[in-house]
Amino acid sequence: MANLSPPIHELPPASKPSSSLQKFISSGDWWKHLALIIISILLFFPFIMTLIISFKTINQFSVSPFTLTFPLHFENYREAGEVVLPYIRNSIVVSGTACFGVVLIGSLTAYVFAQFQFPGKEILYYMVLILLMVPGILTLVPSFVVVRDLNLLDTRLALILPWIAGGQVFAIFILRTFYQSMPKDLFEAARLDGAGELSIYLRIAVPLSQSILGVVAIFNILGTWNDFLWPLITISNEDAYPLVLGLFRFQSSYYTVWGPLMAGYVIGTIPLVILFAFTSKLFVQGLAQGGIKL
Amino acid sequence: MAMQHPTSGNLVASQARPTITIRKRSLWERIVRARFYYLLLVPCFTLLIVFNYYPAFLAMWGSIFTLDYGRDGEFVGLDNFREMFRDPTFRESIGNVVALTLFGTITAITVPVIVAEWIFRLRSDRAQYFYRIIMVWPAIVPGIVTLLLWQFIYDPYDGILNQILAWVGLDQWAQNAWLADPDLALYALMGSGFPFVGGIGVLIYLAGLQSISTEIFDAASLDGASGFRRFLTIDLPLIRGQIRLILVLSIIEGLQAIVGPLVLTRGGPVDSTMVPGLYMYEQAFSYGRLGYASAIGVVVFIAVFSLTLLNLTVFRDKD
Repeated sequence: MANLSPPIHELPPASKPSSSLQKFISSGDWWKHLALIIISILLFFPFIMTLIISFKTINQFSVSPFTLTFPLHFENYREAGEVVLPYIRNSIVVSGTACFGVVLIGSLTAYVFAQFQFPGKEILYYMVLILLMVPGILTLVPSFVVVRDLNLLDTRLALILPWIAGGQVFAIFILRTFYQSMPKDLFEAARLDGAGELSIYLRIAVPLSQSILGVVAIFNILGTWNDFLWPLITISNEDAYPLVLGLFRFQSSYYTVWGPLMAGYVIGTIPLVILFAFTSKLFVQGLAQGGIKL
Repeated sequence: MAMQHPTSGNLVASQARPTITIRKRSLWERIVRARFYYLLLVPCFTLLIVFNYYPAFLAMWGSIFTLDYGRDGEFVGLDNFREMFRDPTFRESIGNVVALTLFGTITAITVPVIVAEWIFRLRSDRAQYFYRIIMVWPAIVPGIVTLLLWQFIYDPYDGILNQILAWVGLDQWAQNAWLADPDLALYALMGSGFPFVGGIGVLIYLAGLQSISTEIFDAASLDGASGFRRFLTIDLPLIRGQIRLILVLSIIEGLQAIVGPLVLTRGGPVDSTMVPGLYMYEQAFSYGRLGYASAIGVVVFIAVFSLTLLNLTVFRDKD
């Protein structure tokens, strides 16, 4: 204990902390912090409850539902994990493949639209862009009919192909603007050196657009990972359920068995939290790139 | 050397060629010359045609037929649309979706703006970054988890809401089955967005505020505009582009709502939370009436499309 309190002469002058505290209070920031902290708590409250309840047995829940009770029942997580983890694997496969397809096709298409001149280019580009204006509700039922007639129902392709088709539109829109803003000299120099168009794309355009490709990829994964409706109507085989559908099903069979249910929600939230932890800079930058307004 | 020779040869040839021949090149020739570029566009457009254009066409086409499971489509003209506007459930669903969209839009262009302004005015960059990360949270949690949590919050017996109401002494309120009471269910759906800062709204407004040049704020403070007055006269007008974006997106999203009502209430009780999107879903996938469902989709599409255009023209920038 003694060595925790430093010698007197090493303490900062007594007035300093109080003056910075005074500054803090008089700056008017304190009430903004207070308001923001209250908002944050409200925002997180349901998830804190989820975390607390996820460690409870039914008895612990009925005695004191919303405070931490001991012992913590980690076996809830084992029980929920057995159900939820296969769904997470399904989601990683389908969302990952779709994301790869969107980045691949989207960037190539955007590059063609940005770099080359050919007849009908503008018309074709606007034919892509207009799809941003077509709401999903118009095509939901007929898309189901198309996928059914192609015999894709209950296969992974029923999710992957339409997700690539829909996802590439936004990707092309974002990436074309980016490729147009890249200095032309770069490409001209490579062409004079005799590089083929595809190798210019692969060796110059792709490496220089890595961060924007990352932004496109993250938003695409967020979108498909959370898509509930499309898997609901195209996938009926439970073994092929993506996570969101699996959680929905899990909820209907575990309703009122709150402990494992909440543990399942926590497990289901973890993959995107991990993704976000590694890419938060990209994510925030992507949104901050001022161009997002009408 | 081997590389250089053909390149310089090409340069000489293109310089020597008179410009007239280029102008004379026919459209067909230009298309043939660009065949490689079209080839690169094939994957994109194949997918678009199969999964976007064709379904959009099919929606319009299918809406004028009776496409029921196990029956051949029979041409019925506008009968699906006539039936729709006589259909009491569909009519009720319009009122519900308007109420939900209005509420969702108003909250989306007020609460997050205020929160973004608070964060923006913090002096410490680290604190700004911290709150920014916090506000992204709702976008990371799978939407379905949030909805299922709200179902639990509203649960009449074990739910958090009723327990809190009982705890603060509002016992007569704590008895409510929020999602199962026809008088309350629609409000419960609205409340499930609480505290209404979800998603990317805050970040988009914040990006808008941060792109305002500091000189404007300096000039404003010289003129004595600070605090709330600066917010009204400077900050708010300068992020109107972002506000308009969120406005349009909220309307588009609100009118198409399906998943929220589907998970929380299934449109019930007694259609009190039925919305057109969910009604379309049920007609298609519970009753197999694909033609009627397509017609509902077309009507919602027209509403979304015309409101978006209206938004873009009415609120168009003067400059």
